[in-house]
Amino acid sequence: MKLRNAFLAPSAVLMTLTMMAPLAIIVVYSLLTRGAYGGVELPWTVENFTRLWDPVYGAIFLRSLGIAGVATVLCLVLGFPLAMFIAGSGPRKNLYLSLVILPFWTSFLIRTYAWMFILRDTGIVNSVLQSLGIIREPLPLLYNDGAVILGLVYGFLPFMVLPLYATLERLDPNLLEASADLGARPWETVVRVTLPLCAPGIRAGAILVFVPCLGTYLTSDLLGGSKTVLIGNLVQNQFTASRDWPFGAALSLALMAIAMLLLFAARRKGEELL
Amino acid sequence: MNRRTFLIGAGSAVACSRGPRLNVFNWSDYVAPDTIPNFEREFGLTVRYGTYESVPEMLAKVMSGNSGWDVIFPSAEYIQPMRDMGLLGQLRHEWLPNLGNLGPQFQQPPWDPGLDWSVPYMHGATGVVFQQNLGWTPRAWSDLWDARLAGKLTMLDDPPEVFAACLKTLGYSLNSADPGELRAAQQRAIAQKPLVRAYLNAEVRDQLVAGDVAAAEAWAVTAAQAIAAAPDRLAFVFPAEGFPRYADNVAILRESSHMEAAHRFLNYLLRPQVAAAIVETTRTATCNGEAQRFLPAALRSDPVLYPSPEILARGEWFAPQSAASQRLRDRLWTEIKST
Amino acid sequence: MKRGLAVYAVGAYAFLHVPLLILAVFSFNSSRFAVWQGFSLQWYRAVAADGNLIEASVNSLLIAIAATTAATIVGTLAAYGLWKRGSAWLSGSMYLSLVTPEIVTGASLLALFQWIFRFLHLRLGMHTVILAHVGFSLAYVVVVVLARLRSFDRTLEEAALDLGATEFGAFWSVTLPYLGPAIAAAAMLAFTVSIDDYVITSLVAGVDSQTLPMVIYALARRGVNPALNAVSTLIVVGLGVLIMLSERLRRA
Repeated sequence: MKLRNAFLAPSAVLMTLTMMAPLAIIVVYSLLTRGAYGGVELPWTVENFTRLWDPVYGAIFLRSLGIAGVATVLCLVLGFPLAMFIAGSGPRKNLYLSLVILPFWTSFLIRTYAWMFILRDTGIVNSVLQSLGIIREPLPLLYNDGAVILGLVYGFLPFMVLPLYATLERLDPNLLEASADLGARPWETVVRVTLPLCAPGIRAGAILVFVPCLGTYLTSDLLGGSKTVLIGNLVQNQFTASRDWPFGAALSLALMAIAMLLLFAARRKGEELL
Repeated sequence: MNRRTFLIGAGSAVACSRGPRLNVFNWSDYVAPDTIPNFEREFGLTVRYGTYESVPEMLAKVMSGNSGWDVIFPSAEYIQPMRDMGLLGQLRHEWLPNLGNLGPQFQQPPWDPGLDWSVPYMHGATGVVFQQNLGWTPRAWSDLWDARLAGKLTMLDDPPEVFAACLKTLGYSLNSADPGELRAAQQRAIAQKPLVRAYLNAEVRDQLVAGDVAAAEAWAVTAAQAIAAAPDRLAFVFPAEGFPRYADNVAILRESSHMEAAHRFLNYLLRPQVAAAIVETTRTATCNGEAQRFLPAALRSDPVLYPSPEILARGEWFAPQSAASQRLRDRLWTEIKST
Repeated sequence: MKRGLAVYAVGAYAFLHVPLLILAVFSFNSSRFAVWQGFSLQWYRAVAADGNLIEASVNSLLIAIAATTAATIVGTLAAYGLWKRGSAWLSGSMYLSLVTPEIVTGASLLALFQWIFRFLHLRLGMHTVILAHVGFSLAYVVVVVLARLRSFDRTLEEAALDLGATEFGAFWSVTLPYLGPAIAAAAMLAFTVSIDDYVITSLVAGVDSQTLPMVIYALARRGVNPALNAVSTLIVVGLGVLIMLSERLRRA
């Protein structure tokens, strides 16, 4: 047990300094009054929380949950076969894994600009379709929810594939063969054997995709054309343009509470949180 | 630009030991490549130069009063608030002999008439940029409600700018804090939203050049860059109802312990040749009147960057908003975006 | 089944790499706008001449390497410790760090640093950026490594202990090798979130710690700049070649 404590100590110190202490500051902020031009002032108040009871913000929360949910499911559906392929590719698996993550070592902004270039009216897709005579007027591919979800799925796919790979990789090929020998079709093997065995990976991936998607703001600005607000935008605005830090802190605590509730709800009975 | 190599921690320690050092925190892309090196050479000072992307970002860093920066570049509407917060140091005019080089309209700017706290640096305006092949010519903000622009119109993704356009079509001040006027402006924005392709800032430049966007609410700087790339297709108009004007200023933080060096830097920026060299790089409009003589003719006579005084008279400066008005505007903006 | 997966993988890799291909193509465009006008190397010359861009790229790589190394080691140990027996404080704070919006993490860290610096004579710089990056990438490492540990057979470790291994020896020679693939995946994730972060970094950065995303956001504020395409292409090709080489060496 001594070893366990020694192993936990560095991260406990780090998380206390970089997470819990700042969180305490956020809680304090959320209970103060906004300074006229940013920052916080006395007196203490709970008004920032009572302001949250407003259908406008409720609708924004629901919308954000919906978009994050769709993006997570799509990441799982698209990422699972890819993770299976990599896990089953023998000696080349490290190479294939790197190829998944390589595009993400360019800046987010640059990748997103590339997608805008593909999707816009004079972009590649529309130009090709028009020159083939399939369409006459350009399709409105950019600046809608579809484009936002595409951007999220693209941006977070590796966050699903990597944890899935980390659990799939240890799957015993003999187990899959046994399943096949016993007469299971390939998809039956996937559903009955592979999926249950890599449940921890699916859960980890879903968390790493869903939670950041919930707080996203740049994707909806750039690919959604800023025509809608998600919770991430709302929080971001309070800390920048609106200069209302206490309300931003309260909004953010609400977002964090909802995300934590969902995480607790998603875990199975008697299991550890992580 | 600062060419010191990156040495973790050690880099700043080395610089510390080498004589007086000035810490300058500026918007990105707001000086010429040789502005800082020339200053360092001439005055024997080391400059630590950093950049920010927005005033809130800069404010967050300097608000604590121990940021370590000396010179900053706040927008006009933040001068009064920053004074109120006790962040700005008072300027000593005896150390700024070049103040007289400022253009006439910036000798007594409304946000700091005595130039006690700030020196105007760059200015600009917001208007409408459009494709000339529309078949008709937008002249006013109200033309941006024309159904012919559906799906081809963009507005700025900046609440004060969108409120400004809406308020102006109703004949109100763009700084209005009146709840009734702001609600009316919000209804205008909601009515316009079905036509809006997207709310874009500088990104609109490429889409104007490529032809995706037919008309856009845009900053004059962005418009000038787009027009330079497609001069025969794009044009800019300062809307008839009036339009927003903005200015960025140089100021010294009160926490600065290098007051004299900071004044030298401000005075250096006020030199006409220095200001002109900066404008040639940044393609913005300088507040330095004397610098005009050193600008290439094409830049000096650019009607988008340097419109005539009659046009500028229709402009209105952004002013600071009270906390209550800011809060109402934020709420109304959230509703516009949520519909 | 196997062939089906391979065909699917080709499609998936195409999806992931299409934006890269586009920015690589446009890094050779002679126009500064996203309209093809002809082949040119001018943007690569612009990158080579821009000391700021190069300095920021090096800063970004240094920060990402330092933060990834620290987060991977600390995170792996933490995952192992948590697997032995849960800790509500630690797993709670890990989850919280994942669910906190970036701007809130950045603003509150900045406030914390400014408060601490009132008592210590320190300033924002590379050290604050690295500390922040280790902080927010730690949870990613723990989540991934723990997911694999959950499927580890505890009896293997117990067997090692029965055979006389110390507690640490059992961890080192039995559990750690088993965790290899998860640690690799976790390190890649940590590197990715570190090298791509803009919001938190810009708030806790000092003057000598400007990173590539900060320079990119500054340049992009004025619209697309093809020099950025050139820099991205150089980074991806550079790291890609490194990966290929290390793969070759490993197999040789």
